[in-house]
Formats: sequence, structure tokens, C-alpha cells
Amino acid sequence: MSQAKRIALLTGASVLSVAAMSAQADEVTWWTPNFNEERARELVAQFEEEHPEITVNLEITVTNGLPERILTTLRSGSAPDLIDVQHPWVNGYAQNDLVMPLDDVLTDAEDYNEAAIDYVTWNDQLWAVPYRIEAMAVIFNKGDFEAAGLDPEAPPETWAELAEAAQALTGDGKFGFAITGGGEVGNTIFRSVPFVWMNGGDLISEDGTEAIINSPEAVEAVKYWTDMYVDLGVSPTSTLENDGTANRRLFIADTVSMYQSGQFDLASIAQENPDIDIGVMMQPHPEGKDPASILGGWSWVIPADAENPDEAKVLIEWLAQAENMGFYTDTFPARVSAMDMPRFDDPMLEVYGDMLPYGRPLPNHPNWVQISQAYFDGIQRILIGEMDAQESMDLAAEDIQALLD
Amino acid sequence: MRRLPTGLLFAMPALVVMTMLIAYPVVYTGILSVTDADGAFTGAENFRDVLAARVTPKAFQNTLWWVGGSIVFQIILGTATAILLNQKFPGRGIVRSIAVIPWVVPGIVAATTWAWMFHTEFGIINYMMTSSGVADAPIGWLTNRHTVMPAMIAINIWKLFPFVAIMVLAGLQSIPNDLYEAARVDGASFWDETWHVTLPQVRPVLIAVTLLLVIWALNHITTIYAITKGGPANLTLITPIQIFKLGFEQFQFNQAAALSVIFFTVAMVIVALYIRFLAQGGEIAK
Repeated sequence: MSQAKRIALLTGASVLSVAAMSAQADEVTWWTPNFNEERARELVAQFEEEHPEITVNLEITVTNGLPERILTTLRSGSAPDLIDVQHPWVNGYAQNDLVMPLDDVLTDAEDYNEAAIDYVTWNDQLWAVPYRIEAMAVIFNKGDFEAAGLDPEAPPETWAELAEAAQALTGDGKFGFAITGGGEVGNTIFRSVPFVWMNGGDLISEDGTEAIINSPEAVEAVKYWTDMYVDLGVSPTSTLENDGTANRRLFIADTVSMYQSGQFDLASIAQENPDIDIGVMMQPHPEGKDPASILGGWSWVIPADAENPDEAKVLIEWLAQAENMGFYTDTFPARVSAMDMPRFDDPMLEVYGDMLPYGRPLPNHPNWVQISQAYFDGIQRILIGEMDAQESMDLAAEDIQALLD
Repeated sequence: MRRLPTGLLFAMPALVVMTMLIAYPVVYTGILSVTDADGAFTGAENFRDVLAARVTPKAFQNTLWWVGGSIVFQIILGTATAILLNQKFPGRGIVRSIAVIPWVVPGIVAATTWAWMFHTEFGIINYMMTSSGVADAPIGWLTNRHTVMPAMIAINIWKLFPFVAIMVLAGLQSIPNDLYEAARVDGASFWDETWHVTLPQVRPVLIAVTLLLVIWALNHITTIYAITKGGPANLTLITPIQIFKLGFEQFQFNQAAALSVIFFTVAMVIVALYIRFLAQGGEIAK
């Protein structure tokens, strides 16, 4: 090896080691899901320019199996400094002391969507900073509405109108309003529970001690929703096999005229069947009541044993600025002021934006997964015709009560 | 100091591996079943909780249907196929190769294919039935409460009867021809031969195969989980799937362990009874 080459190598090595050392001092490791990767990289580059003392290490995660992976890393004691998680997971982390309170970071809670703040609050402290929110609405085919003699510009607003429109749209191998009865539990939770809420019911009481899914209001809502398949026959024959994706496929295939979903479906419909004139309506509500939807979305948390929590907080504070959050989110930003950005000024998204104030958090309970399974079993018992809504929800309430006691 | 016996020394490495691979998980499951999520001892609480859940007896019942229904038809169809394949006819080699295809197809591939064939909207079975006029409207094979479990059992039968056929065929070919000749001299018909010569001769094979099928059916997850996940409304929820869901979907590892222990015990009793009473004289099963 020549002298020059050796010197060059040595210099290179020492520069690298200095870089590594300084990086270790102020290095933030950030786990973000793959759908955020591109935008996250751009933000990181900007952030590092403004904060040269902090280096951000992006690690890309996939949503499949993510809850397990995050739980493992939080319990292992060697967690990253910043993680993107879904709102409903936050409470469990907080109750088990796995994440840090972030009240010193999120100081302007009044600028945030209320339900999102509810999700991340426990014991009067904030345990995460929400950045992305979304609520479902009803996607419909304007062409089908015209063909059935309905006005596509005045879609159904109440339950009675929805049932009527769904019946008018059904026939000739077409179905008016698709509900879900198969796939993962969450598909049915996200679509049917808002109907229970709108009618004044819920799965469990607010203090989490009592199962109230068999109350008259809840049963009436469950019956209304399941009757789309059982009684009215306006939901496809394959309802019990269908999840949200299957409904989208049936909509694209011109078999279904209306179905509940989020704004994330719009792009693929437009791409796969450009002939469909897509319309979006608010979730129809009972006469004289408000619409409702489950608020979904993502937050940032800092693990309790993060190595560089202070730097992570600087990063979150920077990311949570309205324009950065508005740029980062895949759907809508949790910050109200970020909604003014031109990005969200799309007429197609307008209804989704209108739905947001009606978005509510799911109930918080350590046994929530099993509770939702018991409810889902109850819905399926109705759909397969084994029981009527009252009987089935009585049984579900019994199962849920056992999980609460 | 006395030296360890040489035989034991030679067996040591295998014993260590066996302990790690078998004893450790079994013991660990036992420990999980009597502790809570934080590792504190809770006694029989997990067992009580899991047995109190309404789905548990239902899953047991489903498991009995699933195992019973599968085994009976797998054995009958498999044995019949073996007897058929043992006859001399042109193209026998090809038919024999084709017959084993279901067994060779990977389980998840078979399950997905059948799920599509049974699908209400896009399935070929409904397409053939409606286009030929056998049925007026598509049938929800996987969503009708009267058809979904039979559909699952049918898939399991289809998947495993070739295995029975191959085993029985091997047994058939080891029957000495003298027996048949002697029977024919006595004027036996084909049915007499089958009943009095063939079946008694392959009895040990059938017993061993049945035992295997019972164990496989009891442990089965792939087909049902891939198609219905135990639904709709738990109609196809068998105990192994309940254990899987409890552990990996609902994070109730301790209850899942408790159910595993119960299930393991029941399965052991069934197998022990089977060997004790049915397999008398069946050398292979012992």
C-alpha cells in the first residue's frame, strides 16, 4: 500500500469515527411506517439543515405485525427514540409506563382535533402527539344514482333515506349498500359501531364497568345496519365474506353502489375504473341526530427508555408545526390550523373533512380486542340468521360483561 | 468416581437437543398456564377463565365434528381408491400419479384455491351450478351455517384421502397372492375377498393411518384459518384455532397456554384409549 493511500485511508477512518461519535451524542432513531417513508425523508433533510447538531436515523416499518413489534421493543428496554403508532394503542402504552408524557411538547392542544387528544390522554396527561386523523364516510356511484332516478347531488342524509336509496339502487345484479361481515374484526367495528353511537348507544359504559351493547338504542342500530343484508337484501350475497377491500373491489366492478370507507380508497377507484363518477356523502344519521364515525389515525410517542428523549422532543416539536404536519400526513392532519393548506382543498375530500368533527375515539379497555371479537361474533350470528339482533346482542353483552369483570 | 455408561454418553447430545426442543416448550407452556402476564402465580384462574368463555365448548364440539367427519370419509374414500388402484387396468400408472396430487399441493395453496372456488360472487362452483340450472341463485357455501363446516371437512378429505390411498395400497401389495387363490378355490366373490382377505390384512395399516389422521386433524389450522378464520360466528372455530387466536390475536398468552394444556390432555386420552381398545393386535400402532 502506498504512503498516500494509507494516509488517505487513515484520514477517512478518523473522519468517520469522529462523525460516528458526534452522531451518537445527538442521534435520534425514528421508526416510521413505509407509507410515510418518502415524505419523512424529505422532512428529515430539512430538519437536519435547521438543526445540524441532531442526526435523524430513519427506520422504516411495515404495518403488518407492527403492534407486536412495537410492544416487543418497548418492553425490551432498547427502544428507538421516536415511534409512529396508531391512536388506539397509545393508552395501553401509557397505562404500562412504556412511553413518556409529552405535555411539555404538545402545549397547544386547543389547535388539535378533540377526539385525537382524547385518544392520547390518560390520567390527565398527554402521552403522544397525534399527527394524522381520518374518519369514514360513504362512497357512492353518481351514475348509479342517476340511473335509479335519484339525485346524485342530494345523497341520503338520514337512515330512512339511506334505506330507501339502497333499495332503489338494488336489482339486476347490483346491490345498493354494502356492509362488511368477514375479514378482520376491525372492518366491521369501523363500519357498524358509528351507527350504534349515532343512535345513542355504545359497546361498554364510559367507566368501562358495564356492557351496554344490548340497550334498546344499540340493538336498534345493530338491527338497522345488519338488516341491509338480512332483511332488505341490499348488501351483496357475499357480505359474510367481505371486508373493506372486498367492498371496494365490488364497487370498482360496478356491483355495489354505496359503501362505507375512508379517503384512502378514492385513488384506487379512480385508477382502476375511471368511468365511475365518484361521490362522497356523510354517514347518514337517525332523524334529528348527528352523524358519527370512528376517528382513526397516527401519533408520535417517545418510549420511556429512549436514549435521546430530549432530541426526540425537539424533532417532534418541529414536525408538529402546522405546515410540516400537513405535509407529513397521509390523510388529514390532527392540527386544525394545518387543514387550511391547499393540499386539503380537494372537493372530493371536503366531505371527509366535514366528517372529522364527528369522529370519536374507540372505547379504551385492556381487553378491547376480545370485547370487539365478542361484538363481531354477535354481528355474524345475526348475518347468518342464527339469531335476531336482540338475542344476539344479549349474548354479546354477556360475553363482554365477563371480560369487564 | 464412576464413569458414565458409554451408551448414555453417546445418547447425550441427542438427549440435550430433545430436551431443548420438546421438554422446554412443554414445561414453559405449563408455567404460562398458571401465571398472569406479569409472571405472578395465579393457580387455576386461567383455566377457569378460558373454560367459562362460551366459545370454548363450542370449539370443542366443532373439533369433534371436524375430526370425526374428516376421518370417516378419508378412510372410506382412501381405502376404496387404494383397492381400485390395485387392480390391473391400462393407464394405471398415470391414474396413480394423478391421485396423489391433492396430498402434494401445499396446504395454504389448496386452501386459497378452494376459498375462491367456493366464493359466493366469483366462485366456479356457484358459476357451474347457476349456469347449468342446478341452483337458481348463488349459494353462500362459506357463509351459510349449514354448509360452511361440511365445506371445510370436504376440503380436508380431498387433501388427505390420497395419503390413506398410498398407505393402504402399499399394504395391499404386501398381501401374498396365495390367500386370494385359496379364497377363489373356495368360491369367494370380489366382495368376499375384500371383506375376508383384503381388509383384515391391511388392518394394521388402517389403524396406524387413522391414528395419524386423528392427530393431524386435531392439530390442523391451515385450511380453516386461511379460509374463514373460524367464522362466521365461530361456526368453524376448532380448538387449535381458538388457541392461536387467543395467543396471537388477543395477546392472552396465559389463557392460550391453559387451553393448550387442556387440549393436550384430552388429545392424549383419546389417543391412549384408541391404542388401548382399537389397536389391539395392531403391531404398527404400538
